[in-house]
Amino acid sequence: MLIAGLVGVLLLNLGRDPHSIRSPLVGRPAPPFALAPVGGGAPVTSESLRGRPLVLNFWATWCAPCLEEHETLQRAGASLGGDVQFLGVVYEDEEDRVKAFQRRYGSTYPSLLDPDGKAAIAYGVAGVPETYFVDAGGVIRAKYAFPLNAETLAENLKKVGR
Amino acid sequence: MRTIAGAVLLAALAGGVSAQAPADDPAQVVGAPRGPRLQGAALESHAKEVAGLLRCPVCQGLSVADSPSTMASNMRAQVKDLLAAGYDDEQILAYFERSYGEFVRLKPPLRGVNWLVWLAPVAGLLLGAAVIAWVLRGPRHAAAERAAGQEESGSERADLPGPDALPPDRSLAPYVLRVRERAYGWPGGVSPEGPPASPAAVADHAARDRA
Repeated sequence: MLIAGLVGVLLLNLGRDPHSIRSPLVGRPAPPFALAPVGGGAPVTSESLRGRPLVLNFWATWCAPCLEEHETLQRAGASLGGDVQFLGVVYEDEEDRVKAFQRRYGSTYPSLLDPDGKAAIAYGVAGVPETYFVDAGGVIRAKYAFPLNAETLAENLKKVGR
Repeated sequence: MRTIAGAVLLAALAGGVSAQAPADDPAQVVGAPRGPRLQGAALESHAKEVAGLLRCPVCQGLSVADSPSTMASNMRAQVKDLLAAGYDDEQILAYFERSYGEFVRLKPPLRGVNWLVWLAPVAGLLLGAAVIAWVLRGPRHAAAERAAGQEESGSERADLPGPDALPPDRSLAPYVLRVRERAYGWPGGVSPEGPPASPAAVADHAARDRA
Protein backbone atom coordinates (compact mmCIF):
# COMPACT_ATOMS: atom_id res chain seq x y z
CA MET A 1 0.00 0.00 0.00
CA LEU A 2 2.87 2.32 0.94
CA ILE A 3 4.76 1.53 -2.28
CA ALA A 4 1.60 2.07 -4.34
CA GLY A 5 1.18 5.48 -2.70
CA LEU A 6 4.77 6.48 -3.43
CA VAL A 7 4.48 5.36 -7.05
CA GLY A 8 1.26 7.37 -7.32
CA VAL A 9 2.98 10.52 -6.06
CA LEU A 10 5.86 10.01 -8.50
CA LEU A 11 3.46 9.52 -11.42
CA LEU A 12 1.46 12.61 -10.49
CA ASN A 13 4.62 14.73 -10.57
CA LEU A 14 5.98 13.21 -13.75
CA GLY A 15 6.54 15.93 -16.32
CA ARG A 16 6.26 18.74 -13.80
CA ASP A 17 9.11 21.27 -13.88
CA PRO A 18 10.62 21.09 -10.36
CA HIS A 19 11.77 24.70 -10.65
CA SER A 20 8.27 25.94 -11.25
CA ILE A 21 7.40 26.38 -7.59
CA ARG A 22 3.83 25.97 -6.38
CA SER A 23 3.53 29.23 -4.49
CA PRO A 24 0.32 29.89 -2.56
CA LEU A 25 0.40 33.32 -4.20
CA VAL A 26 -0.02 31.95 -7.72
CA GLY A 27 -3.51 32.91 -8.86
CA ARG A 28 -3.78 35.63 -6.23
CA PRO A 29 -3.16 39.38 -6.39
CA ALA A 30 0.51 40.26 -6.11
CA PRO A 31 1.38 41.77 -2.71
CA PRO A 32 1.67 45.53 -3.14
CA PHE A 33 5.01 47.24 -2.64
CA ALA A 34 6.54 50.69 -2.63
CA LEU A 35 10.32 50.42 -2.97
CA ALA A 36 13.03 52.95 -3.70
CA PRO A 37 15.07 52.29 -6.83
CA VAL A 38 18.82 51.73 -6.85
CA GLY A 39 20.47 55.08 -7.46
CA GLY A 40 17.72 57.07 -5.73
CA GLY A 41 14.42 58.53 -6.84
CA ALA A 42 10.78 58.26 -5.97
CA PRO A 43 9.55 54.83 -4.77
CA VAL A 44 8.17 52.56 -7.43
CA THR A 45 4.86 51.00 -6.47
CA SER A 46 3.11 47.94 -7.75
CA GLU A 47 0.03 50.09 -8.36
CA SER A 48 1.94 52.13 -10.92
CA LEU A 49 2.77 48.98 -12.88
CA ARG A 50 -0.77 47.81 -13.56
CA GLY A 51 -1.89 47.55 -17.15
CA ARG A 52 0.87 45.37 -18.55
CA PRO A 53 2.56 42.16 -17.49
CA LEU A 54 5.28 42.42 -14.88
CA VAL A 55 8.36 40.23 -14.48
CA LEU A 56 9.60 40.71 -10.92
CA ASN A 57 13.03 39.21 -10.37
CA PHE A 58 14.52 38.91 -6.86
CA TRP A 59 18.29 38.81 -7.17
CA ALA A 60 21.62 39.66 -5.50
CA THR A 61 25.15 40.39 -6.66
CA TRP A 62 26.53 37.54 -4.50
CA CYS A 63 24.27 35.02 -6.20
CA ALA A 64 26.05 33.14 -9.02
CA PRO A 65 22.83 31.78 -10.61
CA CYS A 66 21.59 35.40 -10.76
CA LEU A 67 24.60 36.29 -12.89
CA GLU A 68 23.83 33.26 -15.04
CA GLU A 69 20.35 34.54 -15.91
CA HIS A 70 21.32 38.22 -15.98
CA GLU A 71 21.97 38.42 -19.71
CA THR A 72 18.73 36.61 -20.59
CA LEU A 73 16.72 39.02 -18.47
CA GLN A 74 18.54 42.10 -19.73
CA ARG A 75 18.03 41.08 -23.36
CA ALA A 76 14.35 40.43 -22.73
CA GLY A 77 14.06 43.70 -20.82
CA ALA A 78 15.48 45.55 -23.82
CA SER A 79 13.46 43.76 -26.48
CA LEU A 80 10.12 43.37 -24.66
CA GLY A 81 10.32 46.43 -22.46
CA GLY A 82 7.53 48.16 -24.33
CA ASP A 83 5.03 45.39 -23.61
CA VAL A 84 6.29 43.81 -20.43
CA GLN A 85 7.64 45.61 -17.38
CA PHE A 86 10.81 44.02 -16.02
CA LEU A 87 11.86 44.92 -12.48
CA GLY A 88 14.58 43.65 -10.19
CA VAL A 89 14.28 43.55 -6.41
CA VAL A 90 17.61 43.46 -4.60
CA TYR A 91 17.69 40.71 -1.98
CA GLU A 92 19.99 40.99 1.06
CA ASP A 93 22.59 43.12 -0.67
CA GLU A 94 24.12 46.60 -0.58
CA GLU A 95 23.31 49.39 -2.97
CA ASP A 96 26.96 50.16 -3.81
CA ARG A 97 27.62 46.60 -4.80
CA VAL A 98 24.47 46.59 -6.94
CA LYS A 99 25.57 49.78 -8.70
CA ALA A 100 29.03 48.29 -9.38
CA PHE A 101 27.39 45.12 -10.73
CA GLN A 102 25.11 47.10 -13.02
CA ARG A 103 28.02 49.17 -14.32
CA ARG A 104 29.96 46.01 -15.10
CA TYR A 105 27.21 43.82 -16.55
CA GLY A 106 24.70 46.42 -17.71
CA SER A 107 21.09 47.03 -16.79
CA THR A 108 18.15 47.62 -19.09
CA TYR A 109 15.50 47.94 -16.37
CA PRO A 110 15.36 49.29 -12.80
CA SER A 111 16.14 47.37 -9.64
CA LEU A 112 14.48 48.27 -6.36
CA LEU A 113 15.90 48.15 -2.85
CA ASP A 114 14.22 46.07 -0.15
CA PRO A 115 16.41 46.85 2.87
CA ASP A 116 14.19 45.25 5.53
CA GLY A 117 13.24 42.32 3.31
CA LYS A 118 9.50 43.01 3.66
CA ALA A 119 8.81 42.69 -0.05
CA ALA A 120 10.79 39.42 -0.20
CA ILE A 121 8.80 38.06 2.74
CA ALA A 122 5.49 39.24 1.27
CA TYR A 123 6.29 37.38 -1.96
CA GLY A 124 7.44 34.25 -0.12
CA VAL A 125 11.02 34.43 -1.36
CA ALA A 126 13.17 31.61 0.01
CA GLY A 127 16.36 32.25 -1.96
CA VAL A 128 17.57 33.89 -5.15
CA PRO A 129 16.99 34.01 -7.99
CA GLU A 130 13.22 33.84 -7.82
CA THR A 131 11.04 35.39 -10.49
CA TYR A 132 7.35 36.19 -10.33
CA PHE A 133 5.22 36.64 -13.42
CA VAL A 134 2.34 39.02 -12.78
CA ASP A 135 -0.37 39.64 -15.37
CA ALA A 136 -1.69 43.03 -16.43
CA GLY A 137 -4.42 42.82 -13.80
CA GLY A 138 -1.89 42.41 -10.98
CA VAL A 139 -2.41 38.65 -10.40
CA ILE A 140 0.60 36.37 -9.97
CA ARG A 141 0.48 33.69 -12.66
CA ALA A 142 3.80 31.90 -12.10
CA LYS A 143 6.82 31.68 -9.84
CA TYR A 144 10.14 30.37 -11.12
CA ALA A 145 12.90 29.54 -8.64
CA PHE A 146 15.88 28.84 -10.88
CA PRO A 147 18.02 30.81 -13.36
CA LEU A 148 15.86 31.67 -16.34
CA ASN A 149 16.98 31.02 -19.88
CA ALA A 150 15.34 32.20 -23.11
CA GLU A 151 13.13 29.11 -23.24
CA THR A 152 11.87 29.11 -19.64
CA LEU A 153 11.38 32.87 -19.77
CA ALA A 154 9.26 32.54 -22.91
CA GLU A 155 7.21 29.72 -21.34
CA ASN A 156 6.45 31.78 -18.26
CA LEU A 157 5.74 34.94 -20.23
CA LYS A 158 3.00 33.01 -22.02
CA LYS A 159 1.27 32.62 -18.66
CA VAL A 160 0.95 36.40 -18.39
CA GLY A 161 -0.31 36.81 -21.92
CA ARG A 162 2.95 37.29 -23.82
CA MET B 1 23.94 52.80 -22.61
CA ARG B 2 22.00 50.03 -20.96
CA THR B 3 22.04 51.85 -17.64
CA ILE B 4 20.73 54.98 -19.38
CA ALA B 5 17.84 52.96 -20.75
CA GLY B 6 17.13 51.76 -17.20
CA ALA B 7 17.16 55.33 -15.91
CA VAL B 8 14.68 56.41 -18.55
CA LEU B 9 12.36 53.53 -17.61
CA LEU B 10 12.68 54.41 -13.97
CA ALA B 11 11.73 58.00 -14.62
CA ALA B 12 8.64 56.77 -16.43
CA LEU B 13 7.72 54.46 -13.54
CA ALA B 14 8.33 57.05 -10.86
CA GLY B 15 6.09 59.42 -12.82
CA GLY B 16 3.26 56.95 -12.23
CA VAL B 17 3.70 56.75 -8.48
CA SER B 18 0.68 57.64 -6.48
CA ALA B 19 1.25 59.79 -3.42
CA GLN B 20 -0.78 57.37 -1.29
CA ALA B 21 0.62 54.17 -2.76
CA PRO B 22 0.23 51.42 -0.17
CA ALA B 23 2.88 48.85 0.70
CA ASP B 24 1.79 45.36 1.76
CA ASP B 25 -0.80 45.91 4.48
CA PRO B 26 -1.29 42.96 6.92
CA ALA B 27 -4.85 44.14 7.64
CA GLN B 28 -5.71 43.46 3.99
CA VAL B 29 -4.45 39.90 4.44
CA VAL B 30 -5.63 38.85 7.92
CA GLY B 31 -8.11 41.56 8.89
CA ALA B 32 -7.96 44.18 11.61
CA PRO B 33 -5.73 43.48 14.65
CA ARG B 34 -7.53 41.32 17.24
CA GLY B 35 -5.06 41.39 20.12
CA PRO B 36 -3.56 43.89 22.51
CA ARG B 37 -0.75 46.17 21.33
CA LEU B 38 2.33 44.76 23.04
CA GLN B 39 5.41 46.71 24.02
CA GLY B 40 8.52 46.48 26.16
CA ALA B 41 9.50 43.19 27.77
CA ALA B 42 6.14 41.57 26.97
CA LEU B 43 6.66 42.37 23.29
CA GLU B 44 10.19 40.95 23.30
CA SER B 45 9.28 37.68 25.01
CA HIS B 46 6.11 37.10 23.01
CA ALA B 47 7.87 37.92 19.74
CA LYS B 48 10.38 35.18 20.52
CA GLU B 49 7.54 32.78 21.24
CA VAL B 50 5.76 33.50 17.95
CA ALA B 51 9.04 33.41 15.99
CA GLY B 52 9.53 29.92 17.45
CA LEU B 53 6.33 28.81 15.68
CA LEU B 54 7.59 29.92 12.26
CA ARG B 55 9.91 27.90 10.04
CA CYS B 56 12.87 29.79 8.59
CA PRO B 57 12.34 29.49 4.80
CA VAL B 58 16.05 29.58 3.94
CA CYS B 59 17.23 27.14 6.65
CA GLN B 60 17.14 23.41 7.25
CA GLY B 61 14.63 22.73 10.00
CA LEU B 62 15.31 25.85 12.07
CA SER B 63 12.70 28.16 13.47
CA VAL B 64 12.77 31.88 12.79
CA ALA B 65 13.63 32.34 16.48
CA ASP B 66 16.70 30.10 16.23
CA SER B 67 18.10 30.93 12.80
CA PRO B 68 20.99 33.39 12.44
CA SER B 69 20.10 34.16 8.77
CA THR B 70 19.23 37.64 7.55
CA MET B 71 15.88 36.38 6.32
CA ALA B 72 15.00 35.07 9.79
CA SER B 73 16.18 38.31 11.34
CA ASN B 74 13.88 40.26 8.98
CA MET B 75 11.00 37.93 9.83
CA ARG B 76 11.62 38.38 13.57
CA ALA B 77 11.51 42.15 13.09
CA GLN B 78 8.24 41.80 11.21
CA VAL B 79 6.76 39.60 13.94
CA LYS B 80 7.60 42.31 16.46
CA ASP B 81 6.03 44.99 14.27
CA LEU B 82 2.86 42.94 13.94
CA LEU B 83 2.62 42.23 17.68
CA ALA B 84 3.21 45.90 18.44
CA ALA B 85 0.40 46.75 16.02
CA GLY B 86 -1.97 44.45 17.92
CA TYR B 87 -2.15 41.38 15.68
CA ASP B 88 -2.62 38.11 17.55
CA ASP B 89 -0.57 34.94 17.11
CA GLU B 90 -2.93 33.26 14.66
CA GLN B 91 -3.14 36.40 12.51
CA ILE B 92 0.66 36.61 12.38
CA LEU B 93 1.01 32.96 11.40
CA ALA B 94 -1.70 33.42 8.76
CA TYR B 95 0.10 36.49 7.40
CA PHE B 96 3.28 34.52 6.75
CA GLU B 97 1.28 31.53 5.53
CA ARG B 98 -0.21 33.73 2.81
CA SER B 99 3.27 34.01 1.23
CA TYR B 100 4.97 30.73 2.13
CA GLY B 101 2.06 28.35 2.54
CA GLU B 102 1.48 26.01 5.45
CA PHE B 103 5.15 25.02 5.20
CA VAL B 104 6.03 28.11 7.23
CA ARG B 105 4.21 26.77 10.29
CA LEU B 106 6.40 24.53 12.39
CA LYS B 107 3.30 22.92 13.90
CA PRO B 108 0.85 22.10 11.12
CA PRO B 109 -2.73 22.81 12.21
CA LEU B 110 -5.10 19.86 12.66
CA ARG B 111 -7.10 20.16 9.48
CA GLY B 112 -7.53 18.24 6.23
CA VAL B 113 -4.77 15.77 5.40
CA ASN B 114 -2.70 17.14 8.31
CA TRP B 115 -4.64 14.74 10.54
CA LEU B 116 -2.59 12.00 8.88
CA VAL B 117 0.60 13.47 10.35
CA TRP B 118 -0.79 12.95 13.84
CA LEU B 119 -2.83 9.81 13.30
CA ALA B 120 -0.62 7.81 10.93
CA PRO B 121 2.07 6.96 13.53
CA VAL B 122 -0.56 5.83 16.06
CA ALA B 123 -2.41 3.88 13.37
CA GLY B 124 0.88 2.31 12.29
CA LEU B 125 1.68 1.24 15.84
CA LEU B 126 -1.78 -0.22 16.34
CA LEU B 127 -1.61 -2.04 13.02
CA GLY B 128 1.82 -3.43 13.87
CA ALA B 129 0.61 -4.59 17.27
CA ALA B 130 -2.42 -6.22 15.68
CA VAL B 131 -0.26 -8.04 13.13
CA ILE B 132 2.08 -9.28 15.85
CA ALA B 133 -0.84 -10.40 17.99
CA TRP B 134 -2.41 -12.18 15.04
CA VAL B 135 0.82 -13.99 14.24
CA LEU B 136 1.45 -15.01 17.83
CA ARG B 137 -2.08 -15.69 19.01
CA GLY B 138 -4.06 -16.06 15.83
CA PRO B 139 -6.48 -18.93 15.39
CA ARG B 140 -4.33 -20.81 12.91
CA HIS B 141 -1.28 -20.54 15.11
CA ALA B 142 -3.21 -21.52 18.20
CA ALA B 143 -4.71 -24.54 16.42
CA ALA B 144 -1.28 -25.58 15.18
CA GLU B 145 0.09 -25.13 18.67
CA ARG B 146 -2.69 -27.25 20.14
CA ALA B 147 -2.18 -29.94 17.55
CA ALA B 148 1.55 -29.94 18.15
CA GLY B 149 0.97 -30.11 21.90
CA GLN B 150 -1.35 -33.05 21.57
CA GLU B 151 1.04 -34.82 19.26
CA GLU B 152 3.91 -34.20 21.62
CA SER B 153 2.10 -35.39 24.71
CA GLY B 154 0.79 -38.43 22.81
CA SER B 155 4.26 -39.38 21.71
CA GLU B 156 5.51 -38.77 25.22
CA ARG B 157 3.09 -41.33 26.52
CA ALA B 158 3.85 -43.77 23.76
CA ASP B 159 7.60 -43.51 23.48
CA LEU B 160 9.01 -42.31 26.77
CA PRO B 161 9.56 -44.80 29.59
CA GLY B 162 7.89 -44.20 32.94
CA PRO B 163 9.89 -43.00 35.95
CA ASP B 164 10.45 -46.50 37.26
CA ALA B 165 10.87 -48.27 33.97
CA LEU B 166 13.93 -50.40 33.40
CA PRO B 167 15.74 -50.75 30.08
CA PRO B 168 14.77 -53.67 27.89
CA ASP B 169 18.32 -54.93 28.09
CA ARG B 170 18.10 -56.61 31.45
CA SER B 171 21.88 -56.58 31.94
CA LEU B 172 21.69 -52.78 32.23
CA ALA B 173 18.92 -52.74 34.82
CA PRO B 174 21.18 -53.06 37.90
CA TYR B 175 23.21 -50.10 36.78
CA VAL B 176 20.14 -47.98 36.25
CA LEU B 177 18.88 -48.91 39.70
CA ARG B 178 22.23 -48.03 41.26
CA VAL B 179 22.29 -44.70 39.55
CA ARG B 180 18.77 -43.99 40.81
CA GLU B 181 19.74 -45.09 44.30
CA ARG B 182 22.71 -42.75 44.37
CA ALA B 183 21.09 -39.86 42.54
CA TYR B 184 17.68 -39.85 44.25
CA GLY B 185 18.47 -41.70 47.44
CA TRP B 186 15.84 -44.34 46.57
CA PRO B 187 16.54 -47.55 48.47
CA GLY B 188 17.57 -50.18 45.91
CA GLY B 189 16.95 -47.62 43.16
CA VAL B 190 13.19 -48.02 43.51
CA SER B 191 11.01 -44.97 43.98
CA PRO B 192 9.24 -45.10 47.34
CA GLU B 193 6.18 -43.39 45.78
CA GLY B 194 6.06 -44.88 42.36
CA PRO B 195 5.00 -48.32 41.31
CA PRO B 196 7.56 -50.93 42.22
CA ALA B 197 9.95 -52.21 39.65
CA SER B 198 9.23 -55.67 38.44
CA PRO B 199 10.29 -58.26 40.94
CA ALA B 200 12.30 -60.08 38.33
CA ALA B 201 14.31 -57.01 37.68
CA VAL B 202 14.92 -56.32 41.33
CA ALA B 203 15.95 -59.92 41.97
CA ASP B 204 18.22 -59.80 39.06
CA HIS B 205 19.73 -56.55 40.31
CA ALA B 206 20.31 -58.02 43.76
CA ALA B 207 21.95 -61.10 42.33
CA ARG B 208 24.31 -59.01 40.29
CA ASP B 209 25.06 -56.79 43.26
CA ARG B 210 26.03 -59.79 45.28
CA ALA B 211 28.26 -61.03 42.47
